[in-house]
Amino acid sequence: MSWKYLCDVSDVSNNSLKLVDVDGIRIIVANYGEGFRAMPPICPHMEEPLDESGVVAGCVLTCTKHLWAWDLRNLDLMGETEKELKTYEVKQEGSRLLAFVERELTYDFDEDADDDEDFFANA
Amino acid sequence: MMRTSLLMLESNPRPGPFSDDLSASPEMPEPARDTRLIEVQSKSGSTGFACEPGETILHAGLRQGVTLPYECATGTCGSCRAKVGSGEVAVDWDEAPGHSRVKRERGEILMCQTRPLTDCVVRVPANVSVGFPRHALPQHFGGRLDVIRRLTPDVIHFELSLSQPISFDAGQFVLLRVAGLEGMRAYSMVSYGRNVRTLQLVVKRKPGGGFGNWLFEEAREGLFIDVFGPLGRATFHPDEDHNLLMIAGGSGVAGMMSILERATQEDYFRSHRGYVFFGVRKLVDCFYLEEFSRYVRAAHGNLEVTIALSDEDCGETCHAQYPEVQLAFGMVHEVCARAMEGRYDNVMSYIAGPPPMVDGALRTLIVGARATPDRIRYDKFG
Repeated sequence: MSWKYLCDVSDVSNNSLKLVDVDGIRIIVANYGEGFRAMPPICPHMEEPLDESGVVAGCVLTCTKHLWAWDLRNLDLMGETEKELKTYEVKQEGSRLLAFVERELTYDFDEDADDDEDFFANA
Repeated sequence: MMRTSLLMLESNPRPGPFSDDLSASPEMPEPARDTRLIEVQSKSGSTGFACEPGETILHAGLRQGVTLPYECATGTCGSCRAKVGSGEVAVDWDEAPGHSRVKRERGEILMCQTRPLTDCVVRVPANVSVGFPRHALPQHFGGRLDVIRRLTPDVIHFELSLSQPISFDAGQFVLLRVAGLEGMRAYSMVSYGRNVRTLQLVVKRKPGGGFGNWLFEEAREGLFIDVFGPLGRATFHPDEDHNLLMIAGGSGVAGMMSILERATQEDYFRSHRGYVFFGVRKLVDCFYLEEFSRYVRAAHGNLEVTIALSDEDCGETCHAQYPEVQLAFGMVHEVCARAMEGRYDNVMSYIAGPPPMVDGALRTLIVGARATPDRIRYDKFG
């Protein structure tokens, strides 16, 4: 429940993604040129690993598996994308990138509790 | 809960092969008691349809205009996942790779692999409605294998005659089932037509490819094949007014041939540009060269066809025998990236081929061409 070190700014180059481990929580860091985002390491559509399937270009994160895409400046959904991207708050301190990690963010298809509502709510 | 509306458009969805004159048949339609009713609960409410004996939930819904989510429709991609709320079902192909994407122990299913044994309620995590969308509704057809023509050592072109006419869009595919082979296989049409009774298709033989091996070793003309289609959304529509970029590998070129056929029939390249990049290993693996040449000659100088050879460097030149076709050395998406630089204006891109090629092409388009998702069309089979 605090600001956690993700990586150095220089570790994640312009228009790229980097997978980091923060106390056992896997987080993907995106550098979209105008800023950084930190988020769960999977696509909210079908759980594709974004470090493999994700592409950042023109401030847009696209999962190449089914072309779901988000504008990383404002997190707007693009095209046929149906689900929001969850993100951790990010800040830069000198050369270091930090994220506010209270608990691991997940998409609900990962939760075991009361599956029916989850199955619906998150598709 | 919203009220369920039941759709029962057809009582007998599976015509026998060439049962042209149904009125002459003395048999009654299938008894209604074998029909199962499926209620679909989705994010956009509830709807329902009838599922005929032996039919999967996905096929029954799609042919009745229910917009169930799917991509490959053959058990691989996992896009048609759903959850059985009540009722009993049977799963056709237990080892379908797409099952890795569902939690079977919690009642999740792939609708393309599941037949209802009783009336069922299924919950689908998508917006599902009933409508008559842009594409013709798929149906079951009886098919007869008519022409088998070997194009290269591992590629066969074949034709099916259908029990009834079919209409489809360029870029769509059909599912084929052969007696004795498990599951259905998806093949894109090479041809294009409305109300036609013949489909032209192409298959590339792969290690372990059941249908390909069957075609190469056992198939003979005159055999019957079950056909379901048309399916797929990676389609060409002239009224959208785009320039066309097509990137294909191996038998993925089928859908591109269909697009080129329609474009040529309608003289689309009089006012639009087309770029085709077709990846194969070596010169000996090329096929459809005659067809490509014909399309280029008819295109008023607005169509470029480049064969990318990944394993044989013939230089950047035109094909010796088919000078309308260009040759280049490299992976098809790399050849495309080099050739297309600065030429992506108003382009709609179509991609088909083996998964690594599709992935490379997508990255080329998204990163290199800054293509947005609405300008890229492909059907995900992997």
